[in-house]
Amino acid sequence: MDSQKGDFSEILSNIFSNSEANRYILASIIATIIMFSYTGYDLLVVRSDAVNEYTNLKEWSIVFETQNETMQAVETVQDDETRNVLFDLSEINIPDGFTIGYIDIIITSEEESGISGQCDSVAGDIIENDLTAQWNDPQNNLSGQDSSCLPIELDLTIYPNYDGETLTISAINEFQALQNWTDTGWGEGELSIDLDLDVNAPFGIDPLGSDTDEEITIDVFIVMFKPNISLIE
Amino acid sequence: MAELESMVPVAAIVYLLLGIVSLILLNRSKNRIWIDFMVGQILGLCLFIQGLAYSSHSIILAFSDGDVDLQFFIFSRNSLFIISGFLAATIPLLFPYPILQNSSTIKYIISGILGMSLLSAVYMMMTNYRYFGITDIIFVIPFVLLISVYFRFLTEEIRNNDLTARRMSFAAGLVLIGIHGREMTWWLAQVISINDEFVGRGAIELGEFAYSYAPAWIGYNINATIGSIAILILTVGESWRASHKGMNGFLLVVLLIFAVGTISGIADYAVLDIVNSCMYSVCEDYPETYDIWYNFTTNALVYLFTPLIAMYIILNFDIIDSRSSENSWMSRIIVILMLLIVTSSMIELLQSFLPVSEMVSSAILAMVVAIFIGWEERIMLKLVEEGESISKKLISLDELNIPDMENNHLQLFSKAVGVMVVFIILLSAVYSAII
Repeated sequence: MDSQKGDFSEILSNIFSNSEANRYILASIIATIIMFSYTGYDLLVVRSDAVNEYTNLKEWSIVFETQNETMQAVETVQDDETRNVLFDLSEINIPDGFTIGYIDIIITSEEESGISGQCDSVAGDIIENDLTAQWNDPQNNLSGQDSSCLPIELDLTIYPNYDGETLTISAINEFQALQNWTDTGWGEGELSIDLDLDVNAPFGIDPLGSDTDEEITIDVFIVMFKPNISLIE
Repeated sequence: MAELESMVPVAAIVYLLLGIVSLILLNRSKNRIWIDFMVGQILGLCLFIQGLAYSSHSIILAFSDGDVDLQFFIFSRNSLFIISGFLAATIPLLFPYPILQNSSTIKYIISGILGMSLLSAVYMMMTNYRYFGITDIIFVIPFVLLISVYFRFLTEEIRNNDLTARRMSFAAGLVLIGIHGREMTWWLAQVISINDEFVGRGAIELGEFAYSYAPAWIGYNINATIGSIAILILTVGESWRASHKGMNGFLLVVLLIFAVGTISGIADYAVLDIVNSCMYSVCEDYPETYDIWYNFTTNALVYLFTPLIAMYIILNFDIIDSRSSENSWMSRIIVILMLLIVTSSMIELLQSFLPVSEMVSSAILAMVVAIFIGWEERIMLKLVEEGESISKKLISLDELNIPDMENNHLQLFSKAVGVMVVFIILLSAVYSAII
């Protein structure tokens, strides 16, 4: 071989001077091109579309379908008595896909004893216990009292932030949009309500002593929801 | 489990240390042939700049949870990685087989590469690194050169029984691992084409459209493909050589990386549901074992073992004059220091998930120190005595031109890179303050 002068073509001809090695080099380059082609197709065509699909935040509308279940208890409460009533929520039938959203309680008393028919003083309290619910939710109304024969309404939010209103959410996919509405474990336990009765007589006089108790009805309305999602185009 | 970040500061120290010491030793080495001097400079600067980039990365990781403005460090890190990438891609143009041998081509092409790296760093900064990955395209020509040199000298060694040809194929193989080691550990995932799913997850997880740009993805795919083909070539080539010449240490290293890539590919396939969870549900975390595996394989290779490969090339291929009394002590210190840093980091990593008390790990480290000190002479002899510059082989083949270039001219390269690094750091500071 002539003495090297640093000529580029001469250098390349030296590198590729072995014909057997050149076959291996060529095979390697072809393998590289083939691998780049199919992986490139997967990455630049298939994956690119998928990524574009999923990197954009989309607007989703969530509408809550609701169903109600009711439970009722009728208790005869004596004057000055505090009566605790328990409702086992596991006894209700929750359809597939539904979750308890909130509970409305209506306590009604019917004045029927005594001469005057003067309304008795009734108080109802939802007692905080192991029932999984939003005990500190500002929408709650855990205590009520009435002495004018009107129903007492109590409310307890069970599912976080649920108020039944339709929502619009930004998320990259349906799963993430629904993520806040698919928790389980809420509404498990017993609903505990305390009833208090204070019998009222006109001017505080009940000569026959006939108004000593009251029949109180507790209606528990359990509102269940199922989120239905749709993409806002 | 050890945090992934924990290895980055160690990498910064290792790269900086080796880069600085290599440059010092190179400048002390007298009568180096131009190719050794040039490759030594590029390798040393590449390690040093990567060390700076890892330092910025360490700062970013350390303060990422706070309110600290990290823009300067992000710009510096990315720009320095771009420059070190260009420098790494320049190495195969000169080592082990220099295709630039004429003084004018050396000057112009290397100046051109430096100019391109500067332009790329500035352009990427201005475009908020949206096309960052596209710079990986620069590794195509170096890859073709390296496999060409590897096959030529491997074939000559086996067919013509040319024993001296081994140095060339060995050097080409080491450079391939040094540059593409990370991608080599993903070879199976690339062959069965599932790496795209990881890239897709990254894009969705980060929520950055930057990663969705086709140019960046072309770069990533080229690099992953080159790395995969490179490890397959080395596995087949070294196995072929072993069938004629017997086993050797390099074959074991290649087979180890091949095995790591195989297991990683299977592990990657196993976690595909988790990878794709980002698309169909929410991004789930990888299993702890999967993270540990990647820490011990891919990350350890990139952060800890790549500098060791660079050190091996510098010493074993006689790029610096490690035999001279002036350089000998510093070479010995750096070898032991590097081995100890890497070993202690690996012990620390092991300790992070194995129930080993600190007393036991300290005792193990003490044993390792004792072994290294006891075998220091032997390790150095193995590294240096068996070493020989590839320039000797090329001269014996009459395939190396000795251009009329003074060392002073070659040293201009270091100065130019130094100025470029200072310029980029200043630009990062100004640009991050403006935007």
